[in-house]
Amino acid sequence: MTSGRDGRTGYLYIAPWLIGFLLLTAGPMCVSLYLSTTSWTMLTPPVQVGFRNYAAILTDDPIFTVSLLNTLVYVVLSVPLGLAVALGLALLLDQKAKGVAIFRTAFFLPSITNMVAVAMLWLWIFNPEYGLLNALLQHVGIAGPLWLQSEVWAKPSLVLMSLWGVGGTMMIFLAALQGIPQELYEAAELDGAGPLSRFIHVTVPMISPAVLFNLVVGIIGTFQVFTQAFVMTGTAQPGTEGGPNNATLFVVLYLYKKAFQEFRMGYASALAWVLFFLILAATVAQMRMAKRWVHYEGGER
Amino acid sequence: MRRMDTSWRATLTMTLRTSLLYGILSVLGAAFTLPLVWMLSVSLQDASGVFAQPFQWIPPSPRWENYIDAVTLFPFSRYLFNTSVITVSVVVLTVLSSSLVAYGFSRLRFRGRDALFAVCLSTMMLPGQVTMIPLYAAYARLGWIDTWYPLIVPAVFGSPFYIFLFRQFFMTIPREYDEAARLDGAGRFRIYWSIILPLARPAVATVALFCFIGAWNDFFNPLIYINSPEKATLTLGLHMLKNQIVGSGSVQWHVLMAAALVVMIPNVIVFIAAQKHFVKGLQMGGLRG
Amino acid sequence: MRACIGVVILAVFVAGCGGNQQSAPGTVTYNCPANAVEVAVLQKEIPAFAETSGVTIVLHPFSGQEKLYAMMAADKAPDIFYTNSTMRDELAASGRLLDLRTVAAHDPFVGRLWPHVVDGGMAADSGWYSVGNWEFTCGVYYRKDMFDAAGIAYPDSAWTWDEMVAAARALTRRSGPGGAPARYGIYCGSHFVEALEIMNGSRFPRGGTRLELPATSREVYRRYLDLMNDGLMPDLRTVQALGMQAPQLLQTGRVAMLVEAVPHQSLIEALTVPWGVAPLPRFPGKAPAYFRSASGGLSISSHTADARASWKALKWIIGGASTYQPNPVLRDVDFVGGWESRYAALRGSGFREVWDLSLRHNGGDPRFFVRFSSWASAPIMERLQPLLDRVWARELPVDELAAHVDEINRAARTQIETSLRTSVYGSSFRARIETDLQTMEVAPAP
Repeated sequence: MTSGRDGRTGYLYIAPWLIGFLLLTAGPMCVSLYLSTTSWTMLTPPVQVGFRNYAAILTDDPIFTVSLLNTLVYVVLSVPLGLAVALGLALLLDQKAKGVAIFRTAFFLPSITNMVAVAMLWLWIFNPEYGLLNALLQHVGIAGPLWLQSEVWAKPSLVLMSLWGVGGTMMIFLAALQGIPQELYEAAELDGAGPLSRFIHVTVPMISPAVLFNLVVGIIGTFQVFTQAFVMTGTAQPGTEGGPNNATLFVVLYLYKKAFQEFRMGYASALAWVLFFLILAATVAQMRMAKRWVHYEGGER
Repeated sequence: MRRMDTSWRATLTMTLRTSLLYGILSVLGAAFTLPLVWMLSVSLQDASGVFAQPFQWIPPSPRWENYIDAVTLFPFSRYLFNTSVITVSVVVLTVLSSSLVAYGFSRLRFRGRDALFAVCLSTMMLPGQVTMIPLYAAYARLGWIDTWYPLIVPAVFGSPFYIFLFRQFFMTIPREYDEAARLDGAGRFRIYWSIILPLARPAVATVALFCFIGAWNDFFNPLIYINSPEKATLTLGLHMLKNQIVGSGSVQWHVLMAAALVVMIPNVIVFIAAQKHFVKGLQMGGLRG
Repeated sequence: MRACIGVVILAVFVAGCGGNQQSAPGTVTYNCPANAVEVAVLQKEIPAFAETSGVTIVLHPFSGQEKLYAMMAADKAPDIFYTNSTMRDELAASGRLLDLRTVAAHDPFVGRLWPHVVDGGMAADSGWYSVGNWEFTCGVYYRKDMFDAAGIAYPDSAWTWDEMVAAARALTRRSGPGGAPARYGIYCGSHFVEALEIMNGSRFPRGGTRLELPATSREVYRRYLDLMNDGLMPDLRTVQALGMQAPQLLQTGRVAMLVEAVPHQSLIEALTVPWGVAPLPRFPGKAPAYFRSASGGLSISSHTADARASWKALKWIIGGASTYQPNPVLRDVDFVGGWESRYAALRGSGFREVWDLSLRHNGGDPRFFVRFSSWASAPIMERLQPLLDRVWARELPVDELAAHVDEINRAARTQIETSLRTSVYGSSFRARIETDLQTMEVAPAP
């Protein structure tokens, strides 16, 4: 790297970010690391406890284990399903037909509406007796479950709801599909490739960077799932979120409860770092594996 | 004869394909819109209609008063004002600071620039929970709890994702413009302010839009920082309304649905008004990631 | 662009407003756990109180205990706020609560309170940190029209559990869609199970430190579960999933009987059907003992700018403001008469009998005993509650729950030892916890 001709002026321009980085990211990260080794209620000064918080989280906190498993199940269910549905919708919208734009709007709109409002809506959709879902199921002769109040169905309920919000992912796939040069398809057709073969040999490699992007963003986002569970799974009393029997207690919800309901700030900080390393590991793993299946045009990245 | 036959078959396949496509799209479109239609229907029921079996999709006498109840029970105009002020501030500050920083990263050369940019990008990966508690403690010490400062002030420092988007866009603006302006005696800031930023209008629109949706829909930050109902945003207000209604003797789901629908409306308006920029922005953000 | 920058400046200005409310002497902030109607009434009476007492009360809406902690951490604690017994001990030990003895010594107001109300506000160091602001018992609300239609006599004060179950059975209608009962005989939320425990012979010593699950409690759990097993009561998750509150269940006729607090203001206001209320019955052969809640109250912040003004305000809220009058925590008022004149529906409903029984045979508040009031309560509840939830979901047999008791006590003890090491508590509280730990004889780990 050259010494750079713009020197101080350069720093002046990036100063807003640099100061923000130091004050709002780097500084708090150090403090958070320190806090994670203390016991702190905010009402009295922090007390050093060494790595006891981490030890407790990893070896002696069955509720954390439950929340971690819940989160993993949710990620494993909702990310691939979300990608598949988004890709399916994008493929449909990529067909050159009149009026497709209306459907694009219909699919995309839910994804930008207010999450809390959406949660209210789905809370009522999942009502076992007065809700839309079980009413529809009853028409085909199925007695629907309790959904959010069923230990088995609570997470699938949230996954189902998340599928309603795949619009953003869909749009990215759509953009990727529309960016594929038509010549590639024509060339494949000349080689005698059928529709399926064209999809596998042309479409899939060409959109693989978009798949990776959506995958990574999706995993990071779903690891941090909070609002749905917080708004939809409790009674009016604080502390009841995450039910039934902790079936929707996700890591971030657990962290929130520790931090802002029990005010165990040290423990919550340690939880945040554990979560950070989980997300980091998942992301790095994705990136590593991606080298094998993501196709970059001209090998640039 | 043969030729006619194949073209006839081709037309038939095309028609079949198209009708199949429309068929699937219609089913899926209905599946995506049904919840909203149902929501509208619930919001127009009376207290017993909500619990009626079977459910009447078209209520015998639609109660539009539910909407009046919703916006009175829940100080809608107050929350709308609060949310608007917070959101506009965040959008303006973010666009200004992020574009300025992006200009620095894309047009100026200085020691450590690329390394710093890499750091900037990598902070996007950092889950907010890691810094949440120290920030909360710091804001508490500053006396900023239950004020809008924690919601607005961070925007002064820009946001990595938007810095990235701006930088991507600035890279596509030919440097000849800068050179020409410099020959005319324009300084760095002038080039940024009167050449680059106006040329980057599509990027400004996209960032503003994303930022708007993000700030408008934000739930977590108002949840932890705002205590007083009169300072709440629409999202937080809706949540408080839900707890208030559920905590009281009778849950008025029809009113709650009306309130939720009202909260959704601004998003829909913004979306319809700026659909193009959404599409562009998602392409920009997604593909070059 | 200019306009936008203007808006930003305005926003920062507006955000700044209300940043620091330093209360002036004579002004007291009250974090008020009341509904909108009650707040409006209070608001109207505050000026008159200010005139006679020189104390102005500023109402702060109650937005949850979590927010109270946040306000304290930010040094913006309201002067008066609600605390329950667990929270009160924790806050008192952290030096956040005013010992009311410093302002209330020789105040005749203390004599107006029932002795158990004063006693209930004492923490482990014998300091007085909260004044009970309300009391209630519980009873069975029932639909008179449904009893009439089924030809069943209305319950009286002497009815037993078995009679209640028989009535529930006769009132259940199994003709709803999907085979679900269209009407259940009864609904009793799980938070009333502890009331059933003390009513049927379980005794939890105050300040006890270990979880006990005596045979009397296990019997209660079984009989309670039988209500669900026999299809007389909707299970708890169904009720939550239905999105109905208890009053709605009774009002819409989904249940014919409902166990709820007595009096229950929003229930009384919501019911438009003919109803009555009877005492919650015991199992046959048990001595009379009724539930009376005294688990929470109003506390004053130790950081209050004007302790005397805060105490005056607190007294007025409990004994003066019309919203809460006549207040059952006071011994010199006609509580039942006052409420009957406020709500005509209470007259002849059985309310007076239920209330009098609970006064005559005050079994106390289980929440006041080991599970909710000692140092061990939070660590115990944290572990017990998920198991109880599984018992209510009928996934964990009651006997298996009993097998977890020792393990819970051990874990609670370890947690208290840790928190003693890592928390900054006042010395009298430390001493008390240390003594408690010594008395926490727990079975050795297997």
